[in-house]
Amino acid sequence: MHDLLNRFHEIAHSPRAQLEKYLSQGKKAVLTAPVYTPEELIHSMGFIPFGAWGGDTELKRAKEYCPAFLCSIVQSILELGMAGAYEGVSAIVIPSLCDTLKTLGQNWKYAVPSIPFIPMTYPQNRKTDYGIAFTKAGYERVIRDLEKLGGVYDANALRRSIAIYNRHNAAMRKLEKLLAIHPEVTAAQRSDIFRSAFFMDKEEHTALVEGLIAALESAEPSVGELPIVISGILTDAPALNDIFDSLGFQIVADDVAAQSRQYRTDTPDGQCPLDALARKFADMDHCSVLYNQDKPRIQNLIDIARARNAKGIVVVLTKFCDPEEFDFALIKKACERAELPLTMIEVDRQMVHFEQVRTNLETFRTILQF
Amino acid sequence: MAGEAAKEAKPVDVNSAKYKLGKISSAAYADALEAKKKGVPVAWVSSNFPVEIPETLGIATVYPENQAAGIAARGAGARMCEVSEADGYSNDICAYARISLAYAKLKSCPEQDVAMPDVLLCCNNICNCMVKWYENLARELQIPMILLDIPFNPDYDVPQAEIDYVTAQFWDAVHQLEELFGLKWSDERFQKVSTFSCRSSRAWLAATGCARYTPSPFNGFDLLNHMAVMVTARGKQTAAKAMETLSREYEANHRSGTSTFRTEEKHRIMFEGIACWPYLRVTSTGLKSRGINMVTTIYADAFGFDYNSFEEMIAAYCRVPNAINLELSRDKRVKLCKDNHAEGVLVHVNRSCKLWSGFMYEMSRQIGEACNIPVVSFDGDQADPRNFSEAQYNTRVQGLAEIMEAAKSVKGE
Repeated sequence: MHDLLNRFHEIAHSPRAQLEKYLSQGKKAVLTAPVYTPEELIHSMGFIPFGAWGGDTELKRAKEYCPAFLCSIVQSILELGMAGAYEGVSAIVIPSLCDTLKTLGQNWKYAVPSIPFIPMTYPQNRKTDYGIAFTKAGYERVIRDLEKLGGVYDANALRRSIAIYNRHNAAMRKLEKLLAIHPEVTAAQRSDIFRSAFFMDKEEHTALVEGLIAALESAEPSVGELPIVISGILTDAPALNDIFDSLGFQIVADDVAAQSRQYRTDTPDGQCPLDALARKFADMDHCSVLYNQDKPRIQNLIDIARARNAKGIVVVLTKFCDPEEFDFALIKKACERAELPLTMIEVDRQMVHFEQVRTNLETFRTILQF
Repeated sequence: MAGEAAKEAKPVDVNSAKYKLGKISSAAYADALEAKKKGVPVAWVSSNFPVEIPETLGIATVYPENQAAGIAARGAGARMCEVSEADGYSNDICAYARISLAYAKLKSCPEQDVAMPDVLLCCNNICNCMVKWYENLARELQIPMILLDIPFNPDYDVPQAEIDYVTAQFWDAVHQLEELFGLKWSDERFQKVSTFSCRSSRAWLAATGCARYTPSPFNGFDLLNHMAVMVTARGKQTAAKAMETLSREYEANHRSGTSTFRTEEKHRIMFEGIACWPYLRVTSTGLKSRGINMVTTIYADAFGFDYNSFEEMIAAYCRVPNAINLELSRDKRVKLCKDNHAEGVLVHVNRSCKLWSGFMYEMSRQIGEACNIPVVSFDGDQADPRNFSEAQYNTRVQGLAEIMEAAKSVKGE
């Protein structure tokens, strides 16, 4: 188990080395920006979908394009692009699921002209037949753009990629459940497992995850003293996870966009794989960037916390993330009603000092222990 | 005060566009309150939702963005924002949304009361923030929300897939409203509303287009007031008539050599972004005192919904300023600058609006290059007074004035 966790760590913290590895094997890679992209489609057309969720870095050149109040995930993607960190990839696919992502695509064309921008325009009324048709039209647009870069669309190849991704989803869901009863896997290690998935071919990652599942299933389950659920867009900052670990928190579940939200929904069976992939997007929910006037995400978060016997919820709010900021007010209200302790910490990709976060979480720990 | 009291009150000209437009604006709120009393359904509607739907179905409307702007202009922006912030809303969220969510909670604000809604009509062709705002309103008020999703179009032209998607939603929205309130769609009524909407839009475009004259026959800040009618009432006959009066007045001003910009027009600029409603006077005076007339803004285009067919109407709603890519956004503004002889651009980097501000730096660079004019920006907010510095504004405007002056000297003007 130790070796597997080290492997996840190594990959999670060396994306450029991973990219170089694939490129040196003659493979082509396409960057996939947050929050959801049709990775199955990109994979089926002969590219390695390579996650681009930015990095913890100081923003310098991105400021030529972005006002200070845009979220640092998006700004750091642009910064890394301008700094050449992604050179060698064939394109970047950016969905239009939030306002800041819309602006990323527009800025990208001028800030990083060496890497073609491929837009993926999703509908918000995604569950209706006309919504599914629009999603499919968006995928067809991605296909046309990838064909210009040498990709080949083939329905059977897409079926195979969908099977690979569904298997990966299942493995990730199973692992996520197991981690709830294995506090010996730290918050930092848990983060590495999820983060590494963005930088690996999914078959390879599935193999590692299934190995870890086997190891955990043969180990004795237990429960940590401070089980919590985390919620937000991104929680991969090493300093943040160190604080979770040093304060004795155990993450028993997450509602994090870069983690479990990626794996909740499988592509259903269907005659036409592209239709099936569009239906997958229609089936997705419980996320701040996916419209639902009933806001089931809020109750879902409470339900997850109850089901996993969490003592509290930590909302990790990425500064300037509108969708999450709107949901937070309702999460706060729902937690108060459910008498479930909640705290919110603000993070961003530029943070160097986490002492305010530590103080907040120390106080929260005291509340949970009371 | 004594001096002001001594001034002779100007007689109100009930035939003037200003009077007519002001009356329509204030009546919009009163009409909705009256309708509510009579049991007519009231909708809170986002500004670029197809007005043709509620107007045809006879649903009374309130435009929360307009309400928030009014509240902010009357000095209550911070007070209302703080109510939402106390409920957990970050002060990074759009100030219109914070004001509106506060109003949904308090149901009262002396600076601009409105009728409470029975349904929410949301359209995200201006931003996705609108979806989140209305989702929360729907939960807090426990009323249905109808979303007309018009996605941001990364291409220059509107693709057929988008037309088809929005068309299907349009009729879905109509059917949902018919079912919710027992209303009946009338094609005949729709034709009338469309005709009024197009008449209003054409007149609005004609009026704003009068800025092509030098000097301009109007003060650009007039547009910020008159725009309220285009938001709230463009599908009404009264609005069409008032806008036509405005257009005629501006043409008459030009012929007679007069203007509502009541000082020498030394420079002409395009103002980019939403107005700083809490600092309307400060931002206006900062320009006027230097002889700078804001002759154009994208608002001129934003409410120009002129169309000849249903499909063209849908396409018009897909082409509103915040739903289009950088290149089309740039080209529309370059045209406005060139048509109206703008000598500079003043950009409001609006803390409330991530979408509008998010690619503004690159776009304004390209506009400046294409038109060979200076571009200056300032930080502000459409409704939260805490995000604006008068000193910074004045310094930036002063800088812009000096560059425009120098450019004129070089040209020997």
